[in-house]
Order: sequence, then C-alpha cells, then structure tokens
Amino acid sequence: MIRFLAISFLACLLFASCSLKTTEGLRQVHFNKTEVENPYFSNPEIDYVYKAKIEVYKKNFGGILIIKKTAPESHRVVFTTEFGSKLFDFQFEGDTFTKHFVVEDLDKKFIINILKADFKLLVNEKTKIFTVYESENQRIYKTQDAERFNFYFFDDESEKLQKIVNTSKTKEKVEVDFTTSEGKIADTIAIKHSNIKLTIDLEKFKQD
Amino acid sequence: MNASEIVAFKEKVIASAKTTKTIKTDFVQYKHLDFLSDDVKTSGKMVFKAPNLVKWEYTNPYQYSVIFKEDQLLINDGGTKSKVDIGNSKLFKKLNQLIVNSVKGNMFSDSDFTVSFFKSSKYNKAVFIPKDRKIASYIASFELLFNKNDAQVYEVKMVEPSQDFTRIVFSNRTLNGPVNDSVFSN
Repeated sequence: MIRFLAISFLACLLFASCSLKTTEGLRQVHFNKTEVENPYFSNPEIDYVYKAKIEVYKKNFGGILIIKKTAPESHRVVFTTEFGSKLFDFQFEGDTFTKHFVVEDLDKKFIINILKADFKLLVNEKTKIFTVYESENQRIYKTQDAERFNFYFFDDESEKLQKIVNTSKTKEKVEVDFTTSEGKIADTIAIKHSNIKLTIDLEKFKQD
Repeated sequence: MNASEIVAFKEKVIASAKTTKTIKTDFVQYKHLDFLSDDVKTSGKMVFKAPNLVKWEYTNPYQYSVIFKEDQLLINDGGTKSKVDIGNSKLFKKLNQLIVNSVKGNMFSDSDFTVSFFKSSKYNKAVFIPKDRKIASYIASFELLFNKNDAQVYEVKMVEPSQDFTRIVFSNRTLNGPVNDSVFSN
C-alpha cells in the first residue's frame, strides 16, 4: 500500500511537472488529417505589410514588417524603420535561412536566433500533425519542430487560425495570437515571449 | 551640368536655403523592395524650423511622429512616446544632419560625400555618394531633385547598396509661414 502511494505520488509529481498549461482541459481525439496549414502568408500575390511595435525589456521600437511569399517554399521577411531604412532582411526557404542584410547593432547571434525562430513560426505554412486535441470550441493541432512543439488553435465554427503556441516539453515559450476578419489575412498579430521580455505587435496596413 | 551651370545651380540653392526659415509640406514616401508587387506607401506632413528643428509626422496608414531636436529623437508611435539619445552615435548625427540639409537642399559643402549634378527639362538633380565606409554600407547614394524655378527640393531618394530605395515626394509646400516651437515637443 505504502509502495503504491509512493509510486502514485511520484507519478503525480512527474505528471504535474511535465504538463503544459496549453493542453490543460483538452481531450485528445482521433484524426485523419496529416498536415496543419497556416494560411496567413500563403498567397504569393499579396504584399503582406504591417506596422510593427516592439517592446523589449520596456524599451519601445517601431517599424514596418514586410512579408512576401516569393516561391512555393520561400518567404522574404524584411523589417524597416518608419523612414524606410532596412533593419533586417531574411529569407526562409524550406529549412534554409538566409540573412540578406542586418544592421550592425542587431547582428548578434542571440538576437538573430530569436528573430529567426519567431518569423519562421509565423511564415511556416504546412507542418505534419503529431496529435490532435479538442476543447469546447477549438480544435488544436500539435506539431513537432526539433526539440520544440507547436500547438495550432483553430476555431471550430469559423475554422480560423487563432493562435500558435510554441513550447518545449514542459514550458510555453512563445505565443502568437491572430485576429482576422476574413480568415486568409491576419489583421493583427501579437507575438509574446514568456522567457524573455519581448513582445511584437503587428497591425496590417489599411488599404488606400 | 557643365561647370558654370553647377556654380549657378549651387548658388541658387544656397541662396534659397538661406532665406528659408520655416517649411511646412506634405509628403508621400514610397519604399521600393525588388520582390514586392507594389511599393509600400506611407504619407504625412513635415515641418522644419531653422536652424535645425525637424518634425516628420506620418498620418497614413498609421500615426507616427519623430522630432529631431538637438541630440535627441522624440518619438510618438501611435501614442507610445519614447526618446532616443543620439548624442553618442556619430552615424545617427550624420543621418540627422543629412535629413536637415536635404530638406533645405544645402548639402554641397559636405565633405563626406562625392557630389555629381544632372539636369533635365524640369528638374536639377544632385547625387551624393558617401565616402565613409560605414555610411556606405547603409546608403549607396542619396539623390535630391530640385525644382528648376525655385530651387526647392521636391524629391529625396535614398538608394541602398542592394538597390532597393526609399523615395519621398513633397507637395503643398509653404515657406516661411509661422511655426510655433511647441510643434517640436512630444
């Protein structure tokens, strides 16, 4: 009996420390879909242009974020100041990452790694599904990316992608929230980091 | 332009810059990136007051303003206000000076650039190529287009080493009207 209790207790502890807040209250369901799709940067005919506000350790920066799908597997991501001067210019092509330009002040390995991971998460279009969960009004697709996992939250009724949560095995790392009126273009995007004080808020340029 | 045309053109621009105490103008900015279908277009108003106060205010499609004041940039990003000290940054100081001088058009005496001159029926053009390697890694060239009649700058073009560029076109300019100093506070 004592042994049973001890094992249960230990199992409980282990289980608790391994559980992600993201999946709390969700039930795993059977699925036959193989890939999850992020539609927000998938149209090669659209110039995706956003006003960006970045807050990093209580310091504020602004700029313009420009994303373009340049080939079936390729996205260009450029960040400029409001005056138009480029701060960085990245290309994501499959698993290949190319730094076309970075201003000297930002060209530090840890900064580039964060930006690279965030924008890869944003532009990555199709990923193989690992597990599927359900909540009352959402369907959640879990995917794996090396040591990390991504959870894609879709609204059941509208089938709109509402958020992506990037986690390690035990902790939430980055959350990306989308708002969209028509479902194919994100009107606003909020990228929040939980282990560093960094948020990136994006608001789509209004048409003339 | 030939040598005498250059001398005459410079004199006209410098004379016009000297009598310019304030400028108020609308502007449209076009950011050209080769891979985009359309240039990214933003617009707003610019106010200048001699000797070196400048405010750029973007109003479309978002609200954003920057005031260049002494050694500081005063930024208002849709209500989020911040201050950037540029006192220690030689590059930023240089860029600020460039902006002020390009608004006035008077940057021919700047020894940091190699200048060449061109003309067409409607305008005169001055092209500035930076000598400093650090500046040259950001700006391949800087072009100012001047109206032939009044020697005022009507277009600024900043070309990056990649050949992508930013073009700012001015319109509805008012010269030497009253501009209150309070315009330049955040």
